[in-house]
Amino acid sequence: MATDSTTWQLRCTVNGRPIEAEVEPDETLLFFLRDKLGLTGTKGSCLEGECGSCTVIVDGRALNSCLVLCPQMQGRRIETIEGLANGDKLHVLQDKFLASGAAQCGYCTPGLIMAAKALLDQNPNPTEQEFFEGMEGNICRCTGYAAICEAIRSAVQQWK
Amino acid sequence: MFLQPRQVAEALEARAKYGAEITPLGGGTDIVVVLNRQSTGPRHFLDLSRLENYAAIRRENGCYVAGGGATFAQLGRLEVKALSQAAMTVGGAAIRNAGTIAGNLGTASPAGDGCVALLAIDADIELSHATRGRRVIPIHEYFTGFRRTALVADELITAVRFPADWRTAWYKIGKRGSINISIVCCAIGMSPRGNVRIAFGCVAPTVMRARQAEAIIAKDGLADASIEAAAQSAMKEVAPIDDHRSSASYRRAMCGVLTRRLLRELRQDAPRAAGRAE
Repeated sequence: MATDSTTWQLRCTVNGRPIEAEVEPDETLLFFLRDKLGLTGTKGSCLEGECGSCTVIVDGRALNSCLVLCPQMQGRRIETIEGLANGDKLHVLQDKFLASGAAQCGYCTPGLIMAAKALLDQNPNPTEQEFFEGMEGNICRCTGYAAICEAIRSAVQQWK
Repeated sequence: MFLQPRQVAEALEARAKYGAEITPLGGGTDIVVVLNRQSTGPRHFLDLSRLENYAAIRRENGCYVAGGGATFAQLGRLEVKALSQAAMTVGGAAIRNAGTIAGNLGTASPAGDGCVALLAIDADIELSHATRGRRVIPIHEYFTGFRRTALVADELITAVRFPADWRTAWYKIGKRGSINISIVCCAIGMSPRGNVRIAFGCVAPTVMRARQAEAIIAKDGLADASIEAAAQSAMKEVAPIDDHRSSASYRRAMCGVLTRRLLRELRQDAPRAAGRAE
């Protein structure tokens, strides 16, 4: 149990890299990733869990990083969009989003890809209903969902 | 201050010591929204997410006992239709992975979907204190006013108990399929003995039951005429307001529609013994 001091010594991993940092108790994971770690792929938009653009994966589960306080991440394994590509080789989801034209302004894309990855990591062959249950927390305001669904479905076929 | 105890006993001690100065934190899906919006939100947190056995759901004597830390993702897998459907519509996957039943009860929003479902199945809420021990409150006595509850500031919600064998029905009217706050939601539960509970969200300062409508069904059963009378009664019993999500008159009308629809749904899959006026 922590002491009464105001700051918190956070230890966690981000994309496999061990992180140690002093954080404020009311600092959200979203702004920690963006402002302290410079991982600006994770986007903030509504800041109330409605849009999904800040979705990251924590210990295998999708979470809205805008609604997570940093100390809650103690000892957790965090994956962000920056951790997906292997050098110049894109992750299959990134590849399929490109191929299907599933990004327009692109703001929602990192969140969509992380939500899709969490879904497929847990369930590599989702039914239609499971597919929508996994993805319904993410909103796109410009592309339309047909291309996004097509991208994720084509990634399913190559999921390992 | 941010406390992250491992044992329920430690958490209860901290809560007894700091009371209202420390805010219990489940998944953060309500509290962090407030923090993101205003600088005057809570500053000190009691993180309940690491407590041992706090998120478990177990079966016990025909009931489920869910620890306060059970998430909507977990509740969404239970075979209590109204509760699992409420859990699955409370938000997207990321919200369901974080939000907890104690959080839903602690926030006590009149739009709390989980609260409405639990109200329709006579759930019991277990409130615990470091030295006074546990007390169990029937859910219909738990909500005392707009975002006010029977929970005292030095207690924690430790568990929720609800029957596993009630037949239930659920419907939520909102602007999208998911991740939306209800305009009206309704849960109806029927015990194996045929007792009916009709619960609503978003139509009063707290989630509420339409008791007169329930009394009509208790007296006259599930014939078309009594379902219609119950629907008419429900519309009179609720006290909705106009706001940016909907109008009072629409909400009131929908309470009638949902009462009718869900009672018919329950009648349809009722075993012959229940619903005596078929």
